[in-house]
This record gives sequence, C-alpha cells and structure tokens, in this order.
Amino acid sequence: MKSIFKHKKISAIVSVVPKEEYRFDDEYPAFKLSPEKAKRFKKMMSLDRHRIAPPEVCSSDLCLYGLQQLLKDGTLKKEEIGALVFVSQTPDYFMPPTSNVIHGKIGLGPDVICLDINQGCAGFLLGLVQAFLLLEISALPKVVLLNGDTCSKQMDKCNRISYPLTGDAGSVAVIERCEDENPIYVDIKNDGSRYKAILVPAGAYRTPASPETIKLNEVEEGVMQSEQHIHMDGAAIFNFTMDSVPPQVDETLAFSGDTRDSIDWFLFHQPNPFILTQMAEKMKIPAEKLPNNIVSLYGNCSSVTIPLNIAQNCAEPLKDKSLRVCFSGFGVGLTWLTMVMNLGPLPVCKIVDYQAG
Amino acid sequence: MDKPKFYEQLAKILDVGEVKPDSVLRDFEAWDSLAALSILAMADSKYGVTIKAEEIRSVVTADQLASLVESRQK
Amino acid sequence: MNFTFHRKRITGVLVVVPENERSFAEEMKNFNFPEARSLKLKEVMGFDKRRVVEPGVCVSDLVVFGLEHLFDSGRLKRDEIDALLLVTQTPDHFVPPTSNIVQGRLRLKPDMLCLDLSQACAGFVLGLMQAFMLLDQESIRKVVLVNADVLSRKASPKDRNIYPLIGDAASIVIVERDPEDSVIHADLKMDGSRAGALTIPAGGLRQPSTFETAILEDVGDNNLRAKDHLFMDGAAIFNFVQTEVPPLIEGLLARTGVSKDAVDYFLCHQPNRFMLQKLAEKMKVPYAKMPNSVVEHFGNNSGVSIPTVIAYNLATRLLQERVRVCLAGFGAGLTWSAMLLNLGTLSFNAIIEYK
Repeated sequence: MKSIFKHKKISAIVSVVPKEEYRFDDEYPAFKLSPEKAKRFKKMMSLDRHRIAPPEVCSSDLCLYGLQQLLKDGTLKKEEIGALVFVSQTPDYFMPPTSNVIHGKIGLGPDVICLDINQGCAGFLLGLVQAFLLLEISALPKVVLLNGDTCSKQMDKCNRISYPLTGDAGSVAVIERCEDENPIYVDIKNDGSRYKAILVPAGAYRTPASPETIKLNEVEEGVMQSEQHIHMDGAAIFNFTMDSVPPQVDETLAFSGDTRDSIDWFLFHQPNPFILTQMAEKMKIPAEKLPNNIVSLYGNCSSVTIPLNIAQNCAEPLKDKSLRVCFSGFGVGLTWLTMVMNLGPLPVCKIVDYQAG
Repeated sequence: MDKPKFYEQLAKILDVGEVKPDSVLRDFEAWDSLAALSILAMADSKYGVTIKAEEIRSVVTADQLASLVESRQK
Repeated sequence: MNFTFHRKRITGVLVVVPENERSFAEEMKNFNFPEARSLKLKEVMGFDKRRVVEPGVCVSDLVVFGLEHLFDSGRLKRDEIDALLLVTQTPDHFVPPTSNIVQGRLRLKPDMLCLDLSQACAGFVLGLMQAFMLLDQESIRKVVLVNADVLSRKASPKDRNIYPLIGDAASIVIVERDPEDSVIHADLKMDGSRAGALTIPAGGLRQPSTFETAILEDVGDNNLRAKDHLFMDGAAIFNFVQTEVPPLIEGLLARTGVSKDAVDYFLCHQPNRFMLQKLAEKMKVPYAKMPNSVVEHFGNNSGVSIPTVIAYNLATRLLQERVRVCLAGFGAGLTWSAMLLNLGTLSFNAIIEYK
C-alpha cells in the first residue's frame, strides 16, 4: 500500500527507558557461555548493555510516564489530545484496551479516541500512519502516539540468544497538522505466510496459557524457552530483512523522488547491529547515515527502537533544523514499512529514565 | 567460485586458523546458530545468494557448504 | 467526538457462527442457583441458545472460513482486498497480529494493509470509522472489516452472569467508496476511568496467567470466577448504557436534524434482551425498531453483534431496499458510539455456519 500524507508533522518525542541497566559482561555467566563464546557473541552483535523493566512495570507504565512528562512541562495540554493510539505486542490486558486504561489514569475527557494496535517492529511507523489518518478529521486537535513493549517478559532471562539483545522501552510522540505541505511518502507490505518467523505460540487464544505452556524446553544447548515465549527464526528473519527491505527502500525513495544523497538519515528499526551493518553495505548507504547503536545501548525494544534512534542520534541537529529522513520498520507479521519525510525541528526530543510512583 | 577464499572466510567465522574442504562443520567449537547466521550473511553479501538455515544444517563438510553456495550462484 | 464521512458505504455482510449450539436449559444445571430462579433469569434476559467454538478453534479460523466462502462464491476476489482490519480482543497470539495470519493463510497480496485493533462490543462502529478513514487514501478502494471474538473461552462455567450469554462469531463486512454523495454521521466517546467494569483481569502483561489466576473464587453472589475469566459489573454496565447511550443517540439525531421516526431501525450491540428493551423504553422507541433477539439465538457475540442483527433481522430486506439506520455500539473501555447511515442494498447479507 502506497500513500502520501500532507500537512502533518511530529512535534515532540519522549522515549522512556527503565533505569535498571544491565551489562553483558556481568550477565553472560548466567547464559552458560564460555568466556570465548561470550567474547565472540559480544563482538558479533556489538553488545554492551540493555534496559530491563522490573516485573511490576508494564509497557503502559513507561508510556504513561512519558505522557505525564509532556503534560507537566507544558509541551502538551490535556485538551489538545484528540486521540491516544497505543501500539504494542505486550498489552496490559486482553480487555479493556490499554489506551482506555491510560485515558482513565490521565483523566481525559470523553471526546478522545482510544485505539490499541497490535504490532511490533513496524509499530512506530504504523502508528504514525494511524495518526496521519486520524488527523484528517478536522475537529481532532493532536494525536498522541504511544509505543511500548516489555519483550523481556516474553523470554527466559537465561536465553542467551534473545535476552542480551532485548530491551524494554516506551515512547510518546505528538503528531499534529502543519501549514507546510510536507508530503510524507509511505509504502507498506505484508507477508503473513511467514508469520511463524516471529511468534509467541501460547498465552492468547490459539493455545491458552496452561501448566504445559509455562514449562521450559531446551531449544539449543543451554537455551531455555517456553511456548509462552517469543520464538524467533533468526535465519528466516535475516533472509527476509535482506531480501525485502532494500527493494522497499529503493521503491519508496523513487516514490518520493529522493536518492541516497538527498536523505540525511536512514533511521531504521534496530534488531541488532550485525544485520544493520549488512543492510547498510547491501544498500550502499554510508555507515554514518544509518545509526545502529540502539541495541548496544538499550537493547532491541520492538517498535520503540525508531523513536529511541531519533532521540539518541538526531536530537541535537533536530533542535532547530529539519532533516530529510528515511524510516524503515520491519519484522513481526511479517510486515515491512518504509517512510520518507522531513523530520523536525523537534524542540522536544529526548530519552528519560522511568521513575515509578 | 574461489574455494580457497571461501574456506578462508569460513575460518574467520569459525574463529580458527584453517578450514579444510573435508572439515566436519559441527566439530568446530564455534559452530552454533550464531555461526549459521554469519554464514547466511556471508552468502548474501559476498556471494549474492540466499540460503536457508535448514540447508546449512543439512551439509556436513566445508566442501559441501561451498558447493551449496556455488550452486545458488547460477 | 463528532465525525462526518462522505461517499462511503457498506456493500456486503457475512456472519460466521460456530455450528456448535448450547442451550441454557442444559447449562443451567451447572450453576449454584435453584432451577426456578435460573428459569426466571432466562425469561427476563432472553437467554436460550448460543453458538460456541469447539476447543482449539480461533478467530483466524472463523475469518478464513468466511473469506474463503466469499472467494468461492465469487463475491470477493483476493486481489481486491486493499486493507484487512481485524477488530478483536481475543487474538490467536500476542505476536504476530491475527490480520497478518489471515493474510498469510489466504495468500493475499503483499501490497495491502493489515491492522489489528483491540476492541470488543463497540468494535463494529469503531471499525467502520477506521474503514471510512482508510478509504480516503487513493490506494485503498476496498476494505474488509472483520469483527471477531471467541470470548466463550474466558467465561467461567460457574458464573451465571456471564456464561449463558456469551457467543462466539466473526463478521466480514465489505466497505467501499460510494459513487453517490452520501453522508455518514457518527459520535464516539470514551471513559477509561470506568474501564474496570468490563475486563479480563489476568492474561495480559499486567497480570500474566499463573496457577493462581486460574483458581475459581467465590465472588460473593453465588458465582465463581477466576482472574483469568471475563468480569462484568452487571449493574454498572446497565447504568452506563441507560445513562450514556440515549443522550449520545439523541444528540446525533439532533445534530443531523433527523427525527427518531425517520430512522427505520436502531441496530444496537446486543448485550441481552432485557437491556435492549429498557433502552428502547427509555428512548421511547418501539421494540420493533430496536431488534433484540440476537442473544437468544446466538449469544452476545461482542463486536459481531451489530452485523449479526443486520444479517439476522434484515436478511432479505437489505438485498432489495435501502433503509436508514442508527447503529449503537457500547462496552469495553468503556466506549460508546453511534452512527447514522443508510444501509443497503447489499450484494450479500447472510449468516453461515463454521464447520
């Protein structure tokens, strides 16, 4: 699906990460890795540290905190919120929608649309598309896009393949109309025939949670996983990413009339630095234009990697300038989504640590 | 395919000094899912071919792996 | 918030219900209530039969079955589907979205949008609004709006307030652009502060399912329920519907200058017959204009209830005529919504059984 959206902009981004930071060097003994294997793994995946939420903290808590910061510092007023869009694969409940729960906690009025969208890796960009659609309703002032995931809760802490690469985070983005046309070019593709490449087999309705599904099974030497955990076919995802994303990026650049030179930043979802380096090489994008440090600093936090990427790497230049960016989110679904737009100026673009209470 | 070069690249992935054509892949200490991923990446970036994890698992020796990649190049 | 949509229409409605039918008369033996009292409840609430999926059957199964039926009967072509909206609170998995699974199982084209929205009872009106917004995009000409839930899985067999009334189903509604200059008006309201009135406490990430959350607890009114089960504060929901829904509908009619008499049907979410009769009485609308018999035949099937009313009560009429309807969806969130539109003629409007 190709679309062009006009007169829309992102006006603020706050990413929220748990303050609990864990370093690979401290954690790897628990993974039953020899020091040599650990060294190799650390080098290949550029691992350093990641942020993991404590058990009682959910995705919505991280997002709510970010939203409260924006309300507290006056960047956003309650009456300006026309819609709350919550994108996650780790919702608080099956029922009610988490966006409604946040609506109640903030104390918003009845004329606010609350929507929960189930998505992972492509979820920030899909959420932006949803925000752009909602902003076609002239009565709707601003859209608050909340992305949040606590994927660490969907894996065993001793799973040496997944856990060190994973992080928990939430983000809040404010999207509104603008005077400038500022066309935003989007391409969305889906291939559900490969949906099993990233799957949580049990816990929802296909296979309800049970004593069986909580049991840990050894999937590889020293790697424990239950049916309620994320099952990822690393090789299939690698091949998918290398085969599907570059052509879509080319297509979208052609759609927007851009070249690699006219794009200032390629802000991609961050599964791990290894695959991003491969992608940059394959697509002949200079490494300086394609940041890939988010996993090393925070972990792969699903759809929040893109807002974190923006805040970590582009906050300074975006303070008073507009940059031409190419976003790409790819993964769960399998879904892949590329977006070319002018981003900024973004006076509010930051990362904060979550404080409970 | 320049097979000596292939074995050199494989040796680098497996963190060893040398890989011979008849080396049995699963005998290497570094042979795991991570190594498989690196091989996929190498097949894609250096040889322009896509291979699947099951295919890597189905070969036994380095030479068989080289032949697999070579067969995809056609 | 008020919405106005131009040049959009529903062109087909298909409801898929499980073949498996349960009857209240048999099930009431499970409850801790004397038979006479249970029969009274049946009479007042309008419980009788409901449709429930067999173990192992999920939302994607019902949806794939329905879409294959439409493909086989020539009513829809795979490549025509530009967007698949799947509105559910009972997804197959946490990851990936169920709309992607359906897309994959049916080998639909990659150049389409797949979107899972989490909503239940108000989900049809919300889904329609989303479909209308999507159809303003040039590349989207046909939207398949799916509402589907298998909430029977979350009903405690020892909870007389919930168990006998839950039904499972899926609806597939085709939404397209309207060449005529039609207008659709809607209003949507949310109140998250009352979210706890209709909830499944455990199972999500706030409180994951464990041995403890599966234990049936005596909740004080002779019913037994676990934290894994669906909880509905019956009195709060009744009051909510009586207080919020009539002003919403009346406000919508006033804003658009349409009188109650000019509306042919009020097609509401179907919680139970009692609530709908009370709603009709409060709004001074004759019962005949506010059909209320879905629960006694199919159960309260969440977001599918409005499409079920359309396909059950107006089966043949809408194939030949156009009627003016006011839809009203209300429930989990809490969310309440109303939509005024013309409905018909439809190219299909049917209920089929999933086997």
